[in-house]
Amino acid sequence: MGNADMQNIITVRDCWMSFAGKEPGAEIHVLEQVNLDVVQGEFVCIVGPSGCGKSTLLNIIGGFLEETRGEIYVENAVVNGPDPGRIFVFQENGVFPWLTVEQNIGFGLLSRPETERAERVKHYIAMVGLNGFEKSYPRELSGGMRQRVEIARALAADARVLYMDEPFGALDFLTRLKMRSDLIRIWQAEKKTILFVTHDIEEAVQLADRVLVMTKRPATIQEEVKIDLPRPRDLDSSGYLAARDRIFEIMGMDAHGGGG
Amino acid sequence: MKLIRTLAIVLTLWLLGITAMHGGLNLHWFAKTTGDGTGEKTFGVGFLPVTCHLTCPVTHFINKEMEHHDMFQPMRFNGWPELKEMFIGRSKDMPAAFILAPMAIALREQGVKIKIVHLGHRDGSAVMVHKDSGIFQTTDLRGKTIAVPGRYANQRIIIYRELKKAGMTLDDVKLLEMPPPDMPAALLSHSVDAITSGEPFMGQAELDGYGRVLWQAKDVWPGFISCVLAVHEDAIRDHRDEIQRLVNGIASSGKWIDESMSHRMDAAQFVATNYYNQNPRLLSFVLSKPPDRVTYSRLKPLQPEFEEIERLAKEVGMLQGTAHFEDYADDTFAPDPAKVQAPHFEVKK
Amino acid sequence: MNRRVLHIVLPLVTGALLLTSWHVAVKLSGSDIFPTPQQVLAGLGELAQQGLLLKYIVASLFRVSWGFIAAVLVGVPLGLILGWFRPAYAALNPFIQILRPISPIAWIPVAILWFGVKDTAPVFLIFLASVFPITVSSMAAVQNMQQVYLRAAQNFGLGGLELFRRVIFPAALPQIITGIRIALGVAWLVVVAAEMIAVNSGLGYLIIDARNAGKRYDLVVAGMVMIGLIGLVLDVLVRRLEKFDEVRWGYGQR
Repeated sequence: MGNADMQNIITVRDCWMSFAGKEPGAEIHVLEQVNLDVVQGEFVCIVGPSGCGKSTLLNIIGGFLEETRGEIYVENAVVNGPDPGRIFVFQENGVFPWLTVEQNIGFGLLSRPETERAERVKHYIAMVGLNGFEKSYPRELSGGMRQRVEIARALAADARVLYMDEPFGALDFLTRLKMRSDLIRIWQAEKKTILFVTHDIEEAVQLADRVLVMTKRPATIQEEVKIDLPRPRDLDSSGYLAARDRIFEIMGMDAHGGGG
Repeated sequence: MKLIRTLAIVLTLWLLGITAMHGGLNLHWFAKTTGDGTGEKTFGVGFLPVTCHLTCPVTHFINKEMEHHDMFQPMRFNGWPELKEMFIGRSKDMPAAFILAPMAIALREQGVKIKIVHLGHRDGSAVMVHKDSGIFQTTDLRGKTIAVPGRYANQRIIIYRELKKAGMTLDDVKLLEMPPPDMPAALLSHSVDAITSGEPFMGQAELDGYGRVLWQAKDVWPGFISCVLAVHEDAIRDHRDEIQRLVNGIASSGKWIDESMSHRMDAAQFVATNYYNQNPRLLSFVLSKPPDRVTYSRLKPLQPEFEEIERLAKEVGMLQGTAHFEDYADDTFAPDPAKVQAPHFEVKK
Repeated sequence: MNRRVLHIVLPLVTGALLLTSWHVAVKLSGSDIFPTPQQVLAGLGELAQQGLLLKYIVASLFRVSWGFIAAVLVGVPLGLILGWFRPAYAALNPFIQILRPISPIAWIPVAILWFGVKDTAPVFLIFLASVFPITVSSMAAVQNMQQVYLRAAQNFGLGGLELFRRVIFPAALPQIITGIRIALGVAWLVVVAAEMIAVNSGLGYLIIDARNAGKRYDLVVAGMVMIGLIGLVLDVLVRRLEKFDEVRWGYGQR
């Protein structure tokens, strides 16, 4: 992709992260020298083995964790805590169970006038296909529907960037497929920037413009795979299979200690 | 939130409702003031629902019936500790109380500025054993367990005095502290071998058929003193007239009780119903079988009698012996027993 | 439907069995001190006829209501603050843990010295008995709150009081209500002890008074039965709170 004319939304330079170990002085290195860039409107997936630190990286970018060393810029500013313009979608579902679907989606809009709020809520309920469930409580919804509420809540709040941390990880296979295509549809309609973490390679290839592959701990971004395929993607096309196999290969090679 | 709003409304209504009901049913907020209630605030006198304190409700009742106002507010307690705490802690609300003589002296020793101004009664105590037990004289108590009301109960002194006469000491028996209301059941179930306290709890064991009198206080220590009327010095200083009226009332209603058996039966009836919430049969029994089981005459505090209590209490280890009659008693209020007049009062039938 | 029948019939059967064995046990023991169920019922009838039963129930409910509601109004905010602000927790928690195990009975002298023998003293004792369980459960509710709600809220820029009102409180509410339910049981439990003070009404007073009244153990047991029954009703009422949509999520699927 030609990045020259596009604005960089996320810039990570030489990011390191370590936690204090059990014994004094012992440190556990989670991230080592991570660099990444995401441009406006781009859909980028980060894949890597479970527990490699990709979630930690997303939390640093989202402002929930502070890096040990490095520079993180989002929307041209140093990240200094979470920001309402950049909403995190959690794997364990951050929808508030004490609010209705409607109230959840309107959660980020309380400062806006009543009519505008109602309109936006209505719009995004329709967009995520939850018409008729406005007054339902999350416990009455399926896992997939709850995840859609969370996405709608982020979109309704006019988030420019979505950070998604394995948002479909807890869903069953069919729901996951449906959610992926819905997410792509929404992304195309809203042109948000999405940074999406998953351990599922197929998912990454189905969704992303670019896939960043992380190594095991201490993790760094090992390679970038561009997925220049038209959407909706044909999961049997040679391009899709090639990209998928390429990532498998990178992650498999990792076991032999090789690198690009 | 709907939950919080609902809760707030429901609870507010509930609080208002229950408060109004409590105010109406128990505090008589909405009742029209009866009598010629002058509205003056009277002082409280603490008592327990026991025969030893009978003159307290009788005085209140007679005064109310004859003069249609409250001379004082009788404040009923259910146990000694609460009565004592209220008496020493809130002397403004309750400057006077019927308490055990050794307790009054002990409080004085501990620096509580109170004075004994009058006796509450004489006699009215007994040692009760189970009717099936083999205890027939004091020496049979050796090794037995005797329930006594508490640390400062005169019953400890009288037992000590009797054991001493029989050549024994307190080490020869086991004393167990127990609230008097629980004593009859303890005797019935043979949890203890003997019980002793003020009436009517001894009478109850006898009336119910399982208790046998080992001895009555009146027979072993005639004129036995147990409960006295004690008053805070502040009240003596600031409200001398009221205290004098109270003492006069107690003295004359004591005389009234002792005047005739019909007065005793009337007192048993109105006190049991209006003040003690007990079966009148029990009080009638205690006040009549025998008639001198408990008496209410000769209630002026006499120094020699208190000195004996002091001496014995010190031997038992109940008192330090640091307070003396002139410290803890003020006998200037008590009228000469010979000159006390009973009120001309008969219960309307 | 079948299940509902079960929930009505079975307790009735158990109750009948218990009453029968109570009756038989009293008869077999030959004691005329401990009352049979009929005598207790007669005692209750006598109290009801005198109008005392209603008076006593009202008096006890009055004291428990004020003491308990005051405990909720103090305990819940205090618990939320302690659960959220670490310095507050560090400063106060040891003292709460010291005060918590002290039985309300031990506080009776203090209550009399401070409040005399009007309704204030028992209200204070009931307050004391319930405020600590409520505080501790509210505190734990905040500390055990799912981090994801907090992060989501912070992500939307919430802080300070707004964060408390819109996220921390509602997230902690189900557990707070469970704590409140337990505390209400405790509050009702101490009504007997609280009314040992020289108040002259209430179900606890009924029990103590009946002990003073000679052989009226039928009234003692009548007082116990009424306390138990009202305790049951109170628990059923508080359980209804758990059915509200705002908190129902916190109690699993039942």
